[in-house]
Amino acid sequence: MKQNIVIVGGGIAGLEAAKRLLRLGYRPIIVEKQDRLGGHVAQWHCLFPDMTPAGEVVSGLIRDTAEANIFLETEISFMNRLRDGYNIMLSNGISVIARAVLFTTGFSLFDAAKKEEYGYGVYDRVITNGDLEHWFNTGSDKRVDGGEIRAMGFVHCVGSRDEKARNSQCSKVCCITAVKQAIEMKKKFPDAAVYCFYMDLRMFGKKFEDFYISAQRDYGIRFIRGRVSEVSEDIDGRVVVKAEDTLAGKPVKVKLDLLVLMSGMVCGRDTESLASMLRLPVDTDGFFKSRNNVSAVVQSPLEGIFYAGACTGPKTIPETLAEADTAALEIVSFLYRS
Amino acid sequence: MIGMAFVLTYCVFALGRIFFQLPGADRKRFLVSLVTPKTMLKNVRDIFCDCLLHVKIWKRNKLLGYMHSSIAFGWFMLIVVGHIEVLLYTPHRVKLFYYPIFFRYFVAEDEHTMKGEVLFFLMDFFLLVVLSGIALAMIKRLRSRLFGMRRTTRPSLLDMVGLYSLWAIFPLRLLAESFTANISGGSFLTRSINHLLTPLLGDQASVLPWWWAYSCALGIFFVVLPFTRYMHIPSEILLIPLRNAGIKIRNARKGLAKTQVYSCPGCGLCIDACPMSVQKANTRDTTVYLNRQIRRGNEKRIEEISDKCLLCGKCTAVCPVGVEGDRLRIAQRSVRRYGINPDYTSIDTSPLTVDSRGKVLYYAGCMTALTPSIKKAMESLLRKAGIDYELMDKDGGICCGRPMWMAGRIDQARQMMKKNTEIILSSGADTLLLTCPICYRIFKEKYRLDGIRIVHHTEFIEGLVSSGRLALGAEDRTFVYHDPCELGRGCGIYEQPRNVLRKVGSLVEAEKNRRESICCGGSVGSLTLGFDKRRVITQNALDNLTVASPDVIVTACPLCLDTFRRYADRKVEDIAETVDRNTRTQTRTS
Repeated sequence: MKQNIVIVGGGIAGLEAAKRLLRLGYRPIIVEKQDRLGGHVAQWHCLFPDMTPAGEVVSGLIRDTAEANIFLETEISFMNRLRDGYNIMLSNGISVIARAVLFTTGFSLFDAAKKEEYGYGVYDRVITNGDLEHWFNTGSDKRVDGGEIRAMGFVHCVGSRDEKARNSQCSKVCCITAVKQAIEMKKKFPDAAVYCFYMDLRMFGKKFEDFYISAQRDYGIRFIRGRVSEVSEDIDGRVVVKAEDTLAGKPVKVKLDLLVLMSGMVCGRDTESLASMLRLPVDTDGFFKSRNNVSAVVQSPLEGIFYAGACTGPKTIPETLAEADTAALEIVSFLYRS
Repeated sequence: MIGMAFVLTYCVFALGRIFFQLPGADRKRFLVSLVTPKTMLKNVRDIFCDCLLHVKIWKRNKLLGYMHSSIAFGWFMLIVVGHIEVLLYTPHRVKLFYYPIFFRYFVAEDEHTMKGEVLFFLMDFFLLVVLSGIALAMIKRLRSRLFGMRRTTRPSLLDMVGLYSLWAIFPLRLLAESFTANISGGSFLTRSINHLLTPLLGDQASVLPWWWAYSCALGIFFVVLPFTRYMHIPSEILLIPLRNAGIKIRNARKGLAKTQVYSCPGCGLCIDACPMSVQKANTRDTTVYLNRQIRRGNEKRIEEISDKCLLCGKCTAVCPVGVEGDRLRIAQRSVRRYGINPDYTSIDTSPLTVDSRGKVLYYAGCMTALTPSIKKAMESLLRKAGIDYELMDKDGGICCGRPMWMAGRIDQARQMMKKNTEIILSSGADTLLLTCPICYRIFKEKYRLDGIRIVHHTEFIEGLVSSGRLALGAEDRTFVYHDPCELGRGCGIYEQPRNVLRKVGSLVEAEKNRRESICCGGSVGSLTLGFDKRRVITQNALDNLTVASPDVIVTACPLCLDTFRRYADRKVEDIAETVDRNTRTQTRTS
C-alpha cells in the first residue's frame, strides 16, 4: 500500500510536506535541483516578526526529513501521465512511477536589473533584499563593506505591483521584510539614517503592525510615502535618490551610502516548462493555477498533482508551512481513495 | 458629359475652399511659390512623376508601379492623342471637350482619308496599356499577396461603385471602338476585334448600345469620384504644389490637412507598414482609415484612431502621395479641449541654470534618467575624450516638451520649450548634447537656439571617433542597429551610428531598417495602447531585428532600450555603452 510520492523542490514547503508524510508512514522522494536543501529560506538571516533565525527553521526541517529519499542536483527531465499515476524521468537517469506528485517549486526573486532606473548592476552601492540577507549571513559583500554607512534607503515594490515590469501582483512579504531589514541595519549602524520609500505598507500578518510601529518609534526609521523617481550616482560613488514625499507634498533628495531594492516574488523559472509537460494551467500572474483559488488551493486541476507554497503565488513562511501540511494530508487521503 | 461637368465644378469649388482655408501667410507663400520658376519646375516634374508615372510606387514594387502608371499614364496619353486627332482633323470641334473622348463615334473616316495610322496605332497601344493595368488591378483585388501586399484596404460602397465603373470604362471603350473600327478607323487591336465581331454581330444597330455603355460608365465614374477614394486624382495635383511651397499642417481639418485627407488613394500601403497591424484588430486604425473617417466626419473614430497611434511615422515614410499620418494625428489631438491645463510659465529657471560657457551642455532628459546605464556610459565617454561638459538636468529639469507636443497639447509644450530655451541660452554653452531622440527631435525642429549646436550622441560619438579623440578597440561580436523612429525617420540620422558600430564589431542589418525600421512599441506617442498590446508590437520588432542572428541589439534611444530589454532574448544596449566598453585608451588632444 505504500505508494510513491514525488516532491518537486526541496525548499521549506517540500521539506515540511515530506516531514508530515514521513510521520504518516510514507517515504516520499524529494527532487531538488540545487546542491542543498532549504531553498530561499536557507539563505536568509532572521525571520519577522520575532527575529527567529532562519537557519534554525531550515535545519529543523532537514533533521526531520532525513528518512526521505532525497535527490540533490537533480531536475525533472520529463513527466507524463499514466492511467493511474505519473511517470517521471529524472536528470540523473532514474525514472520513478508515482501515484502522487507535489510541486513545491517556489518562486524566483524579481531580477532588479530589469528596473534599470534604480541602478541595480549599474551603480556600485545598489543591492537587493536578497543580497542584504546574504550579507547578514556571510558578512562579505563589496557593495556594503565599502565604508561607514551614514545613510541608507529601501525601495519598496521593485518589480511587484508593477505592470511595466510584467508583474502586477503584490509580493506580500516585502513590506514587512523591509521593516525587518531596516531594523537589523539600524542595529548594526545605530547612527545611520534609514529611509523606506513606499507606496503603501501592507502590514497584514500577526504582529506586523507592532513591528512597523516599533521600527518608527524605537529605531527611528523614516518612512516616506512616494515612489522613487530617479536614482543617480554622485562623484564619490554615493547614490542620490530623488523621490516625492506625497504626504508632505514635497520632492525629496537624499544621498545614501547604500540603497536596497525590495525585489518582489515572481513565478519560479521552471514553472512554465513543468506546466507544459503535463499541460497544467498557469494563472494570469505566471504562477501555477490551483483548482480553486479559494477552496482548493493545494489541488491542481489534474488528479494526483498537488501544490504547496509559493509556486501558486507569493506567501509568508507560516502560510507556506500550513499549506505543505494541508497538501500532505490531501495526498494521503487521495491515496486512500484510489 | 454631365459627369465631367460635375466633377470639374466640384474641383474648382473645393480648390477655392481649401485655398481660403489656408492661413494668410501660407496663402501668400503658396502663391509666391507658384510663380517662382524653381518650384514651378519642381511642381510640374513632381506632378508628372507622381500623378502620372507613379515613380514612388515603382520604387517600392514594380508590379504595383506598372499597374498604377499604366492606368494613369495610359489614360492621360489617350486623352492627349485623342486631342491631337481632333486638333488635326476637326479643329473646329476642339472647344467641345467631350468630342475627343467620343471621337470615333462622331468621325466616320479611316486611315486612308486621315493618313493617321500612327495616331491610330498609338490610341490602340495606350488602350492596351490601360487594359493591362486594369487586368492587374482585378487580379490584385482577388490576390493582393501577389503584389507583395499582405493586407489591403476594404473599400466602402461608393468606392466599389467607382472601382467597378473605372474597370468598366476601358473594356467598354475597346468594344465600342471595335464596333466602329471599320467605319471610323482603328489599328491592330480594335481592327482585329472588329473582324472577329462582324460575323457574329454584323448588325450596325449594336454599335450604339456599346457607345452608350461606355459613356455611362464614364459618367458614373466622374459623378461618384468626389465621394470616393478616386478624389485623390485631382487632390494630389493640389497637394504637390502645396508641399513644395513648404506649407505645414496648421488646422486639423482645413487647408493642407484637408488636401492630404482627400489625396489619400486608399491604397493601403500604410496597413502593412503600421507596427500595430501585427494585431488584426488594429488594422482599422491605420492612416488610410483615419483619412476615411475624417472624410466622413466620424468624430468618435477619429479620436480613437488618433489617440491609439504610436506616431512612429512609418506610414508617412511609405505613403506614395505624401499623406503625413503622424502629423495629421497630432493635429486631430490638438483640437481637443481639456478641463485642466497645467501652467508652466511660473517656473523659475535661474536655479536650474548651470554656467557652462564654452562647454558642452548635456541634457539627459527623463528617459535617460530612467536608464542610468546610458548616462553613465556617455559621461564616461565625455571624460575619456577630454570634453568639458555640464549636466543640464542633474538637479531636476524641465521636460523637452515633445511628449506634450505629441499629445497635441501644443501650448503646454511651447511653455516648456520657452523655459528650456532660457536655461540653455543663459548657460552660455556652445553645444547641446542629447542622448534621447525624442528630446533631440523637438530641439532640432522646434527650438530656436541660434548659435548653439544641437547634437545627438550618435553624431557626437561619430565626430569624436573620426577626429581621433576616442580610440576604439574592436570586439568579436555581431551587432544589429535599431533605428529609433524619432532619430531615423524623425531626424534622418541613419549612417552615423552604423559607421561607429562597424569600427567596434561586425554589423548586420535587420530585415526592415532605416526608413522602414519598425517601432519598438514603447513610444510615448500612443495615448491609449496598453502594455499587453504593445508587447506584441515589441515582439514583432525584435523578430525583425534578429533575422541575421546578431549577438547584440544596439539602439540609440533610452525608450527603445527599455522596451526591448524587457522582452529580448539577447543583450540590448545603447550605442554609448557599446562604444564605452570598447574605448580603452584615453586620448587627450587639448
